[in-house]
Amino acid sequence: MTSSEMSMSISRKIISEDLSNVEFDTSEDVEVIPTFDSMGLRDELLRGIYTYGFEKPSAIQQRSILPIVKGRDVIAQAQSGTGKTATFSISILQSLDTTLRETQVLILSPTRELATQIQKVILALGDFMNVQCHACIGGTNLGEDIRKLDYGQHVVSGTPGRVFDMIKRRVLRTRSIKMLVLDEADEMLNKGFKEQIYDVYRYLPPATQVVLISATLPHEILEMTSKFMTDPIRILVKRDELTLEGIKQFFVAVEREEWKFDTLCDLYDTLTITQAVIFCNTKRKVDWLTQKMQEANFTVSSMHGDMPQKERDNIMKEFRSGQSRVLITTDVWARGIDVQQVSLVINYDLPNNRELYIHRIGRSGRFGRKGVAINFVKSDDIRILRDIEQYYSTQIDEMPMNVADLI
Amino acid sequence: MKKIVYNKSTLVSLKAELLRKQEEVNEKKQLPQHKVVNFKPPPAKYNSNKNEMKKTFKDSLKAIDVEELEANRRSRFALEKKAELYEHLADISGSSELEGRFLVDFTSKKQQDEEYEKKEHEKQQDKEDFNSDNEWVEFTDFLGRTRKCIKSDLEYFVNRDKLLQKDLSKEEDILVDYQQQEADKESIPKPEMPFLVQKTNDYLQTLREKWEQKEKELLGKDKDIHYQDLLFDEARMHGVGYYAFSTDEAERRKQMDELVQRREETLRAQQETEQMRKKRDELVAARLAAARARQRARQGLPPEPAPPANNQKDFTTCLLEFLTEQKNEADKKAKEEEMKAKEEQEKERQKLREAYVREWDLGKEGVEGKIKKFREMTQEEYVEQQRSKRIKEFAPPRTSTSERSELTFDDSGRSVGKLKKSPKTWADVRPNVRIPPPPDISDIIVTEEQKGLYFSTSTQSKSQMKYKNFVQPQESIPIENELSDHDDDNTVPRREKRKKSSNHVEIEPPPTYDYYGPAPKISKTENPFKSDIREAYAQGAKSLENKPNDRQLSKQYDFTFD
Repeated sequence: MTSSEMSMSISRKIISEDLSNVEFDTSEDVEVIPTFDSMGLRDELLRGIYTYGFEKPSAIQQRSILPIVKGRDVIAQAQSGTGKTATFSISILQSLDTTLRETQVLILSPTRELATQIQKVILALGDFMNVQCHACIGGTNLGEDIRKLDYGQHVVSGTPGRVFDMIKRRVLRTRSIKMLVLDEADEMLNKGFKEQIYDVYRYLPPATQVVLISATLPHEILEMTSKFMTDPIRILVKRDELTLEGIKQFFVAVEREEWKFDTLCDLYDTLTITQAVIFCNTKRKVDWLTQKMQEANFTVSSMHGDMPQKERDNIMKEFRSGQSRVLITTDVWARGIDVQQVSLVINYDLPNNRELYIHRIGRSGRFGRKGVAINFVKSDDIRILRDIEQYYSTQIDEMPMNVADLI
Repeated sequence: MKKIVYNKSTLVSLKAELLRKQEEVNEKKQLPQHKVVNFKPPPAKYNSNKNEMKKTFKDSLKAIDVEELEANRRSRFALEKKAELYEHLADISGSSELEGRFLVDFTSKKQQDEEYEKKEHEKQQDKEDFNSDNEWVEFTDFLGRTRKCIKSDLEYFVNRDKLLQKDLSKEEDILVDYQQQEADKESIPKPEMPFLVQKTNDYLQTLREKWEQKEKELLGKDKDIHYQDLLFDEARMHGVGYYAFSTDEAERRKQMDELVQRREETLRAQQETEQMRKKRDELVAARLAAARARQRARQGLPPEPAPPANNQKDFTTCLLEFLTEQKNEADKKAKEEEMKAKEEQEKERQKLREAYVREWDLGKEGVEGKIKKFREMTQEEYVEQQRSKRIKEFAPPRTSTSERSELTFDDSGRSVGKLKKSPKTWADVRPNVRIPPPPDISDIIVTEEQKGLYFSTSTQSKSQMKYKNFVQPQESIPIENELSDHDDDNTVPRREKRKKSSNHVEIEPPPTYDYYGPAPKISKTENPFKSDIREAYAQGAKSLENKPNDRQLSKQYDFTFD
């Protein structure tokens, strides 16, 4: 090792040490564009945006769309339900070449339901552009997947496992891919998924544009982005601004675990005012609670990762169509899923980390709507709840009697 | 001292009084409402956070009073069950095997109910008569309950009582039976869910079938998929301009075309109306002007002066305009400059970005397997480089030229001893690019064919490449210490020496000598590229291949190391 190499490695060490202390901020020269009209988007895309129901861009949309369209690597963070999916979808659609019938953009998300939802958003916004988007997710027929990809898809939205499989089979050709989007990026770069993301990334052309999107971006995730991103533009949110004013948070203290069930039964009438999601920490508990609720003659549906995909799809459709009103589920539902009518989230168990709390309560209060989150806490859970409260500088009060009025 | 006078009886009565008082006090103490403490504000018991939490927790418990709630719930549940059972029994009156096991005779109850309604009506009409006409009788049934009935009904009730008594002997078994039956019902999976659940389930089933059908259709055809295909009755609010296209491709295209057409029409119509309005406004204005002119003419006034032209402005407005214009221009310029600076910065950053190699990209096609921040030098190259840096004065002393060995080096550090065997230096392996000879400025160096003024001591200047700037290492001439007094022969290179010592006839230098200097002498052996050109070329090409390896990264991007 020459002396200069030595000095380099030392400086490198210093850099990596520095990063853990560095505070990541929003990039300085981020332009704010107040309307969709002034973003210079295609006519057909604009029409799609307006018909989907967007009128004025949200804060994240005002800031992130243009840099992504320009081809820059972007790390975008925004509160739940403020239009992050639409942000990258619009950018993708703007930079697509629809005459080229090849995969140009790859979107990866942690759950199949989310990947399907993204596909739907892309198709909705690009309805006038005749865009083709495929949901490449596990649990579906391989042959169909292959056929659809062979047919030619502009955008592929999928989960890492199936996407990697398709790439390896050379069904999903990567040579035209210009952009990789990681939705729920912090989850995707977490231990469980990082390897899979790396595997997929290895098949992409070098220096592919990368976009990271999430409501929560912990520091350690921001630290590692230099490995696969080039001088990214960061649009970040301080954690004390991460909870939404529109989502009121409460807790109900119960002495024993058994009492949670009775409390839930008492709340049932409130649950069905619009739609509600009840989170448990394990699949078994979801099954148990669902059975108990049904025995007590309450109509509920449930969903978790151990169900066959067909069943999961059906439950999703039922819930999205408003046919089922109360959904008992695990954290498979915690991130990204957007059902407008959900206005109540119940944490039957407290989530296992602070990020999940933000994501769970974010299933309500979508795009400016009101929402209520109710946490069932045993006496020893109160400490955890207080920690969450303090971490996000938010307020979690004891549930008032008139909680139904807030929904 | 005063003497207290007392007798036994007073003492006894005093004692009695004392006891009574004490008892009273005790009694009072036991009555909580008389406690003094109760009138005090509740003491701040909970100081620490922990205690407070417990308090709120306990309070909430009190508020909900879970036990009571639980009891209520249970009783409600039981009552509901009972009601259900009753209804069931009433409905199937007569056919149930459970009939007769209960105190209520459902068969007759049903009839009774109907009758009762009729009777109630009559009753109300002549209530008073009824009350006065019928005597009320009390009787006690076998259970010991006192019951009251109208005298005429007494027989019926007594009969019923007897029947009941008979049945009741079996009652114990019956109850057990029923409970068992209920338990059985629960233990085997309920074939039928509660009514509401059942109903919704049925509905959902039909929906599911519908969706499945749709999905099959989607899979069946090799066609474009659109938003409508995936909506599956989703309850979602869309924008005002939302239009649900058909899921049929041809139909959809038609609708889309129509939409585009409509849009164009709208735009055209908008333009037309705009133009129309302009025209109309102009017309109206003209008419008004004409009318005014007529009026003026009638009044005998001269025609209205034309509206002041735009260029007729007073001085101040002109000045103001001029100034603002100037200011705007200055602003514009500043902005432009700023933009330019930004752009340039951006360009530079873009360059840096392009040069940046991501760690995860390493080894991909077009990206080398390992970023080498430093090209690895061979030992010789390194030695070369170090030597070139060396100040000549610090070079090892040159020994006598006659004693050249492998260990002797010339001033540029090359081994001089065995020229052919010496390892190739960097300069040797340079690619042999054929550089055309530079234009000759010297008359002396011309080929023999050329006529004119020509003089040369050399006999072999034919087709020689001339390297104007090339200094042959072997030929390099050390700086001679001209100030030195003693003329050391040893320091003079061999050839020079030979020249000096040559004893052929000295010829006068040519007339151009003063101007052009001597023509360089080039011998075949001195051409550095002569030897092993092929090998040199191969090596050169190889070094070119490795060239991209020395991509240098700016330090700020370089976080990687092996």
